Amino acid sequence: MSTKEQRERIELLQGTLDLLILRTLLLGPAHGHAIAKAIEFNSDDVLQVEQGSLYPALHRLIKRRWIAVEEGASENNRRAKFCQLTSKGRRQLAVETNKWDKMAGAIAQILRPAVREGES
Amino acid sequence: MRSRKHMLESLDQDIRDHIERETQDNIERGMTPEEAHFAALRKFGNVTRVKEEAREVWSFIWLERMLQDIHYGLRMLRKSPGFTAAAVLTLALGIGANAAMFSVVNAVLLRPLPFSHADRLVRIYSIKYGVNLGGPSPLDAREFARRNGTFDFIVSYDAWRKNLSIAGEPEQVYIGLVPAEYFQALDIQPLRGRLFTADENEWGNHHVAVITASLWRARFGSEESVLGRSARINDEPYTIVGVVPDAVPEWMEKLHTKINVWTPFAPFPDVWAETNREARGFTTIARLKPGITIEKAKGDLQVIAADLAKRYAVDQGMDVTVEPLVNTRVGNLRPALLLLMGAVGLILLIACSNVANLLLARNSLRQREFAIRGALGAGQARLVRQLLTESVLLSFLGGGAGAALAWFGNRWLAGMRLEKFPQLAGATIDPSVLFFTLSAAVLTSVVFGVLPAMVSARARPSVVLKEGGRTSTGARGWHTLRRTLAAAEVGLSLMLLIGASLLIESLYRLQNSNLGFRADHLLTEHLILPDVRYSDPRKITQFCEQFADHARAIPGVRDATITDVIPPSYNWKQPFTVIGRAAPSPGDVPQANFGVANPHYLRTLGIPLLSGRDFSAADTVATSRVTLINETLARRYFPNENPVGKQIEVGSPEDLPGESNAANSNFRMTIIGVIGDTKNRGLALNPDPDIIALYQQNPEQNFGYKSLIVRTAVEPWQIAGNLRRELHALDGELPFAEVRTMDEILAQQTADGRFSASLLTIFAGLGLILTMVGVYGVI
Repeated sequence: MSTKEQRERIELLQGTLDLLILRTLLLGPAHGHAIAKAIEFNSDDVLQVEQGSLYPALHRLIKRRWIAVEEGASENNRRAKFCQLTSKGRRQLAVETNKWDKMAGAIAQILRPAVREGES
Repeated sequence: MRSRKHMLESLDQDIRDHIERETQDNIERGMTPEEAHFAALRKFGNVTRVKEEAREVWSFIWLERMLQDIHYGLRMLRKSPGFTAAAVLTLALGIGANAAMFSVVNAVLLRPLPFSHADRLVRIYSIKYGVNLGGPSPLDAREFARRNGTFDFIVSYDAWRKNLSIAGEPEQVYIGLVPAEYFQALDIQPLRGRLFTADENEWGNHHVAVITASLWRARFGSEESVLGRSARINDEPYTIVGVVPDAVPEWMEKLHTKINVWTPFAPFPDVWAETNREARGFTTIARLKPGITIEKAKGDLQVIAADLAKRYAVDQGMDVTVEPLVNTRVGNLRPALLLLMGAVGLILLIACSNVANLLLARNSLRQREFAIRGALGAGQARLVRQLLTESVLLSFLGGGAGAALAWFGNRWLAGMRLEKFPQLAGATIDPSVLFFTLSAAVLTSVVFGVLPAMVSARARPSVVLKEGGRTSTGARGWHTLRRTLAAAEVGLSLMLLIGASLLIESLYRLQNSNLGFRADHLLTEHLILPDVRYSDPRKITQFCEQFADHARAIPGVRDATITDVIPPSYNWKQPFTVIGRAAPSPGDVPQANFGVANPHYLRTLGIPLLSGRDFSAADTVATSRVTLINETLARRYFPNENPVGKQIEVGSPEDLPGESNAANSNFRMTIIGVIGDTKNRGLALNPDPDIIALYQQNPEQNFGYKSLIVRTAVEPWQIAGNLRRELHALDGELPFAEVRTMDEILAQQTADGRFSASLLTIFAGLGLILTMVGVYGVI
């Protein structure tokens, strides 16, 4: 399985999965499968989450009390566990987003001149 | 952690739901149900790993893994009891030897002294022309005490052997002669009564005593009425004025015995007279002010010593040195202890490589197991950790058993009652020893465990499994490793054996060294004739002659003498001058041991007369004073001439500038004979010059402190009863004290050598057994 197929997918950086989950839940409560789908759909399928890894991440966020779970019924009335942002999670999302922006900007600044030098 | 349980319990269901949803999605995209299910599973990833990671989120994973490792490790150890027993026993011996040795080192070297200002207590010594003369004279010590700026206390004191009767039979014991400041410096408060007043240190006011709580309990049943009761010391009554706790340990005064009675510091009437400024050799205890270093204090005293050297002729060339009291506790045991600590370290290394070898052997049988576990996804680190856990378990079991062995070792050591090393009695298994044992166990497990674990965990599943478990490729490397370990063990145990045999050889040489006299069939007894009843030297002479005569009359006795020098170790140095050859400067005045005896000295001890004549009964107080010198003195100071007939004068020379001799206690003697050297400063060293005179002829050197030496035809102890009766027939008040055979005295001389030689031999034997077991396992 360790082939081209895997390499073309962008591996998620450590911790970014948490950020994506929090961002997804900002739109409203969702269950695990729906979160995975939303991440893939919203990134035009570039970010492929190995869906299983979602669950340890969810457990981690629950433990930190950034999200909460409640039992509910899904679309076709199936039992499901819905995750929703807590107020602590909302604050954390703002912090994490801010951090991400800074980091992405910084990395871009480093990379862009490097590309120019490489061309000259 | 209710959420934890809840989350993990519903996790299986959550995952099933997730996969079902994904399958449903896939079907909607047009896959067959079967394809859809597999695609969903693929997309989900490793279910087991997801579950494990989710569980990790909620748990102290390392703790769980450790418990798992321990559980598994214990199961492995139970499954191979033979291996476990061998490894635990080996480790128990290695760690136990170390724990036992450490408990001794801890008691003698490391543990703080049992005083509240232990780190500030020091001893002060006078040095003259580079020679350490012991403590300063009381007069000099008083000047140090008055003029320094770095000490809280500087106290001169001493401990003298005296006859004591205190609610019972008379006995000879050491009595401390101390001012109250002695107890104050050590921070010892009286339990009852009081310490001495300054007045009581004056000669004549000194008939008061302080006793320990244990003596109070033993002789007075701890009754309050003890204060005011009387004790007889050298036949003089002393009033008990105080009781102090048993706070001064046995080793402290280098007497190998505990002091239970103290009287004020009034050793003799004129101790504070200027004529006694030269009376060095008293013991000094001093306490530094807080925060003062030894060097600073020493510098302070050196300034004062330099001034004393200028002001007083007898202090010329004088310097001073300071030693922490704690350094005096280990005494001459320090090199032995360091040697033995090194030896047990080697034993632990042997034990480690033994167990490493056992582990390698066992792990090579477990290759298949490791390979399968590796193939199932166990990382190398995980395997190493599992193996290390087994090692730690082994070493903890070994450490526990080792601590028990050390406890028995301590009991055995305490049971030996090494008279010469009372400080060893303090060796116990205390928390610091347990901590040391624990650390040794952990360190040991790392030393013996890491190598086998690394080697074993490297097993490649593909190779091992294909070979069906017979690991031919790895085997050569393993055997090399195991052979190397075995070779190292042989080397280590050889080192121990060589060390032990060297010690035994030097001990053998020491015990068979030429003593210069015949040591067999000799019995000695120590006499203290109290001043009150034996104030006149003629009375002392009369008693000694009678006692020696009566001793000679006992059946089985060949001869008897009374003397104040008993070989192989005595040390009372006197300056002397060969008449007509004055020393050019005070530093050049020759020194010799000076002792007195009666005419039977040579015959009783079996010392050969080399030239001239022996003492005879015709040498009396009425005839001119005669002396015998030993061969060393003759060779050193009368080279190429016959010393017989020459005259010497004992005492500080009068005509030298800077040597006061107000008392003029010097006396001239004629050399009548040269005798063979006898050991006089221990078995190991060559003898110093000796001058032996007759106490009958030298009343100013005829003191009440003497020893009877008896040469017997029978086993020496057989005559002890008769000797005691003869003593008490002459004087019923005198204790029959310190009765020893010469063999016992010589055994005391080699006590430290025998201590280290016997322990090192035990350790070498232990190392040899461990090595044999280890090598046997390899070949």
